[in-house]
Amino acid sequence: MASPSKRDLLGACLWAGATVAAVAASDSMLLRVILGVPMALLISGHVVLRAIGVRTASLTEHLVCSIGASFAVTIAGGFVLDAMGLLVPLGWAFWYLAATTAAMLLAPGDGNASIPRAWPGPLRMQRWQGAAVALAMLVTTGAYALAIHDQAVERQFNYTEFWMLPPAKGDPGQLVIGVRSAEAQAREYDLEVTLEGKPIAIIRSLTIAPGDTWVRKVPVPILAVQQKAEARLYRPADDKLYRRVSALVPGS
Amino acid sequence: MIRAYFNAETAIAPARAWMHSILGIIGPDLRGGDTETAPDSANSNWIAALCLVVAAALLLVAAGQGAGRRGDDVAQLLFWSGTLLVVVPASLRIAWPNVARGERLFLLVLLADALFLHKTMYSPTGFAHHDEYLHWIAAEDLTTARRLFLSNPLLPIASVYPALEIVTTAITNLTGLPIFATATLLLAVLKGTLITALFLFYERITGSPRIAAIACLTYMGCSTFVVFESIFSYESIAFVLCILIVAVEAASRDLVGRSRSSALILIALLVASLAVAHHLTAAFVAFYLGMLAALEASRQDVSLRVQARIAMGATAVLAIVIPLVWVLAHGNPFTGYVGPVVETGFKALLAKLTGTSTPQSEHVSPPSQPILLRLTTLLAILLTSVGLATGFFRSLAMTAPANLRSGWRPIQAILKRRWRDSRVVLLTLLACGFPISVAFRLTVNGWQIGNRMGTFVFIGVGLVFAVGIVHFWQGRAARGWRRIVPPAAISVIVMGGVTAGSIEPIRGPYKVSSDAQSIERMGIETSLWTKEWLGPGNRFTSDRVNRLLLAGYGRQDVRNKINPAIYAARVFRRDKLGSDDFYALARSDLDFLMVDLRLTTAPPVLGFYFEPWEPQQGTQLTADELLKFNDVKGVSRTFDNGYLIIYDLRGLHGEP
Repeated sequence: MASPSKRDLLGACLWAGATVAAVAASDSMLLRVILGVPMALLISGHVVLRAIGVRTASLTEHLVCSIGASFAVTIAGGFVLDAMGLLVPLGWAFWYLAATTAAMLLAPGDGNASIPRAWPGPLRMQRWQGAAVALAMLVTTGAYALAIHDQAVERQFNYTEFWMLPPAKGDPGQLVIGVRSAEAQAREYDLEVTLEGKPIAIIRSLTIAPGDTWVRKVPVPILAVQQKAEARLYRPADDKLYRRVSALVPGS
Repeated sequence: MIRAYFNAETAIAPARAWMHSILGIIGPDLRGGDTETAPDSANSNWIAALCLVVAAALLLVAAGQGAGRRGDDVAQLLFWSGTLLVVVPASLRIAWPNVARGERLFLLVLLADALFLHKTMYSPTGFAHHDEYLHWIAAEDLTTARRLFLSNPLLPIASVYPALEIVTTAITNLTGLPIFATATLLLAVLKGTLITALFLFYERITGSPRIAAIACLTYMGCSTFVVFESIFSYESIAFVLCILIVAVEAASRDLVGRSRSSALILIALLVASLAVAHHLTAAFVAFYLGMLAALEASRQDVSLRVQARIAMGATAVLAIVIPLVWVLAHGNPFTGYVGPVVETGFKALLAKLTGTSTPQSEHVSPPSQPILLRLTTLLAILLTSVGLATGFFRSLAMTAPANLRSGWRPIQAILKRRWRDSRVVLLTLLACGFPISVAFRLTVNGWQIGNRMGTFVFIGVGLVFAVGIVHFWQGRAARGWRRIVPPAAISVIVMGGVTAGSIEPIRGPYKVSSDAQSIERMGIETSLWTKEWLGPGNRFTSDRVNRLLLAGYGRQDVRNKINPAIYAARVFRRDKLGSDDFYALARSDLDFLMVDLRLTTAPPVLGFYFEPWEPQQGTQLTADELLKFNDVKGVSRTFDNGYLIIYDLRGLHGEP
């Protein structure tokens, strides 16, 4: 059993071990956040302070120095793991386990560098004050949610995306044509595809609702020379050329 | 004779009285010192009430941003009333006399993180600022490739300073959170750590929690605090490391033996981390600790222990050598990156001061703010200047030998190199950089220097201003106007930090080449389309904003140059593609080029579409210039949404 002055370090090692287990076996982001964030931003720095015997005057000072030292541990870990080709989730988890274990072994056992217990000052809270702080947290969360909602529904431009991709290497002789609507309402289109100016496909009355995507492969003959394909999107409502795209069809 | 003497005496007397008044105001008299009787325990009523006020204020800010997105006129009212409610009540309470230390510290952290949330409301689900994209791209690259030092064409020097990306991706790897969520969490922690470390540092060197709290508030008035130091950029982590280093150094001043060595090891770890985090901040820490060691060496004080002097010297050597070795090991990218910025900035400032001809870029009108915001910034600068004038000599006097406190004797002692703490002397002198940073901010080319300088200069400004408030404006008995006016002035200074921090803090409709205000859903969805249909990693070029979106959301390999000698801006800026540009494009390895027809609708807000140094700054692009690629043989038009068009250049290189 660890001496009383090293209990915090033993706890840090167990935390690091739990982090390794969570990263290796769990898909729960919440569990990994609960274990991983304190490990990366606080605990790893705390163990380093204890290992090198830094004495701080207050708990506030200790917390701040621990966060700073955590950055140092993490940055050093980045270089070590990069050199080893292990910049992967498990690599990081094992790095923190190694750092905490090494700190526990190196830390002096005399307890001289234990954590100061003094808080910035006594704070007595009544029930209504606690409720007010909880309400403040709720309102802040609501404010953030409102900001997220406003950003999600924001749409400054209404438009229709129109594209044509040249034949892919694995699928020669096929042009890919796509239309995606980000308009405010469903619209009707006519589509015409030409190869070297000659029509090869015409699609009439193509209705696309907002958010919908229409994709079609159009076969094209492969000749000895490169050809230019062009696709035009018309709006029958106002008989207007709305979009045009083109692609090069490579020769055989 | 008597009459003549009498006349001269009556003429001199008012001047002498006036001079006495001036000297009394700026003089080093420490009125009673910091003798407040602060309670031990924090006032929970105030804490609970201010938490609620700040939360309600953030709700107003969020509503203001939402109204701005919808183009509602009420946006300004909602946003600015929310901002006032975030800043003013908390600032007043923090700066109020007789407040418990713990309460001040808690409220400082509350205010700092509230201001961070205030900034985050602008874009709560994605990065918004230019520099954030550069580091987001680097962090995504690191997550994908699992290797350090990958090239970053949009900010080549950043690959040598990967600390921010390492810390971010470490958390991402451990937790599975996306980069944006990790970055927001990390920045919130950084903000709280920064203000706490700053408070501890000021408290350690002044011995007064009240001065420390007011100094921290004043620091929040720096133009970089609210936005620039809160964005996902390497300065944000580096500045926290910087403040931690100076705080640990100050805290270790009275330590001896093993404790001192332990503190030195911690400083070495932090300096090494800073050396790989950010060049300018590492240079500032080297300067600060070097100057501190020099001041300690020149100090006339026999009481100073040899061991302490050795420790300070060792700290300075570490702070200078470690970043230097790092820079030299990577071929010194620092000089090439910072040098031109400093050179143009100084030239612009000198030209402005001497009235000689200024560079072309100085004639581009900088983006302007509403008059009320500019007046707030100006008032904040004025109040800061008044505070500095009344705090400068008092700050120096505070560190003079205790037996030399009357009249100007403390300053004479300082001039004879007799002081108790070199940190106070150094920070007081550092505050003299404030007018210089303001002068730089008045020029277009020097603005960046002034802005970056402010980050460091305000460490000194905070101290000097706080000493002026406590020892002159509030003095022995802070009653009546002395109780109210100084905290109110500090609130204005913090508000000045908000108004100076961003040109357009409220989200509004799309604007041409305005960085954050140019980023909207259509541009993002087009970049996402490139990833889905073209695949990631294609070599793309475009204007400044679309490059960011293509690299960030589209995961494309974006370039701002066609080849090492030619910036892409050149091929966009002519009605017809000349043969030189055609061959440059044909010989390049670019796959795609994206044009944004919205750029032709207005002049660029920032003065340029592609690069700050583009030759045709301020000249509006035309549709003919952007659509000329329709008629270029070998170029096909792959994508069109009516605003954004993607041209496939691979046909120029003999590819399909």
